[in-house]
Amino acid sequence: MSTVPDHVPAELVKDFSYFTGPGMCPMRGGDPQGALAALHDGPPVFYAPNNTYDGYGTWVFVRAEDQRRVLQDAETFSSHRKIFEKALGYDLPTIPLEVDPPEHGAYRSLLNPLLSPKRVMAMEAANRARAVELIEGIKARGNDCEVMNEFAFPFAVGVFLEFLGLPQSRREEFLGWADKQFHGTPEERGEAIRTVIAFMQELVDLRRREPAEDFMTFVVQAKVDGREMTDKEAVGMGALLFVAGLDTVAAAIGFDFRYLAENPEQQEKLRAEPQGVVLAVEELLRAFPTVIMTRIASRDTEYDGIKIKAGDRISCPSMVANRDPQEFPDPNTIDLARPNNRHVAFAYGPHRCLGSHLARRELAIAMEEWLKRIPTFRLKDGVAPTTYGGHVFGIEDVRLAWGAAGR
Amino acid sequence: MKIRVVKEKCAGHARCWAQSPEIYDLDDEGYILDGDIDVPEGQERAAWLGAKSCPERALVIEDYKKDSAA
Repeated sequence: MSTVPDHVPAELVKDFSYFTGPGMCPMRGGDPQGALAALHDGPPVFYAPNNTYDGYGTWVFVRAEDQRRVLQDAETFSSHRKIFEKALGYDLPTIPLEVDPPEHGAYRSLLNPLLSPKRVMAMEAANRARAVELIEGIKARGNDCEVMNEFAFPFAVGVFLEFLGLPQSRREEFLGWADKQFHGTPEERGEAIRTVIAFMQELVDLRRREPAEDFMTFVVQAKVDGREMTDKEAVGMGALLFVAGLDTVAAAIGFDFRYLAENPEQQEKLRAEPQGVVLAVEELLRAFPTVIMTRIASRDTEYDGIKIKAGDRISCPSMVANRDPQEFPDPNTIDLARPNNRHVAFAYGPHRCLGSHLARRELAIAMEEWLKRIPTFRLKDGVAPTTYGGHVFGIEDVRLAWGAAGR
Repeated sequence: MKIRVVKEKCAGHARCWAQSPEIYDLDDEGYILDGDIDVPEGQERAAWLGAKSCPERALVIEDYKKDSAA
């Protein structure tokens, strides 16, 4: 698997991987996004022979402009990469992510209104109350906390349960699945995926039997191209929400709070001018995005003279495009008031993150309420969090303290 | 000043609307309304900023006079 295919010229092969090398392995005080900025000193497109968790090679597209061209061309660069096939033993496409246009359009049109910017505004009050409750709980416990376990994941999972119409009493159970799916061993991941799929199937059955006012009822009652929604489609939609909406939001909160802990003067600025939070969230999405967009060439093609064969994997790391000096002046400087911030944290093209508007609000709410309620905070005992690369970049154990030292 | 809307490139980021809601309107799915936009006098700056916020480059600025952007 990790041999270089014949059509890849030797001069485009680079010893590179999202899993090994500087900044990519789990390490304390790491900066995985910053570590990849140096790719802009090299070729705009190269081939990394061993660049997936299961040992496949990928093309890596470095520049924002090239990523835009690839991700906008869903016909040539398919998004159907069979994410669950290995764990399930059969292909169950997550929808709409793993469906290509033109079929993709029908699913997107169905789901877009549920997560449109205006619809997300209607969820604002409930989501804010959830954040406030968690933060007040932390405050009541003392002068320190671990952000990921005590705030970021419970918040993201809470919003997810609310959206799915599930009772908050299931939070611990979902947190356990999420932890295994995103941070477990390969066996644990497989098991968590099977558990989530089985859960979604049960939910589909339940909502067909007993309709309610919730997401899954909407999905199972919806028609695609004039026909009934199948179980497999409904499960694929529920599964995507789980995969895409939890770890990503939690990680973004972790990276945001780490940045603020290390930059108390920026905390003070935002406390004094909370209306700056919305732009700050955008800049931190640019600086610390976590997702790598993967596509598979659906046919032989040529990209600026480079031969790409059907079946080749194409990788578009958002964190690299977001440090492109041709797209962003002074890309490695974090400017929380950066204007014209057209970052690619939520991808480009038809598969633009369906939940982006909700995610943006979750991040802004988290930051606003945290800054409002918690005084100047720092990394507890100066210990930096552990960060890592991979298919989805992440951050662990973000320990903060404030006021007189912790518990 | 005119904004040419390349509707097929719109992916629903809604950044134009977030930046300048007085110029850019969205449909129920959160995507830009179809059709080019004639920018009213005095709103050139807002239109320019909104067009520049599009990650997909779906908004093309036409007949823009720089001195009107004050």
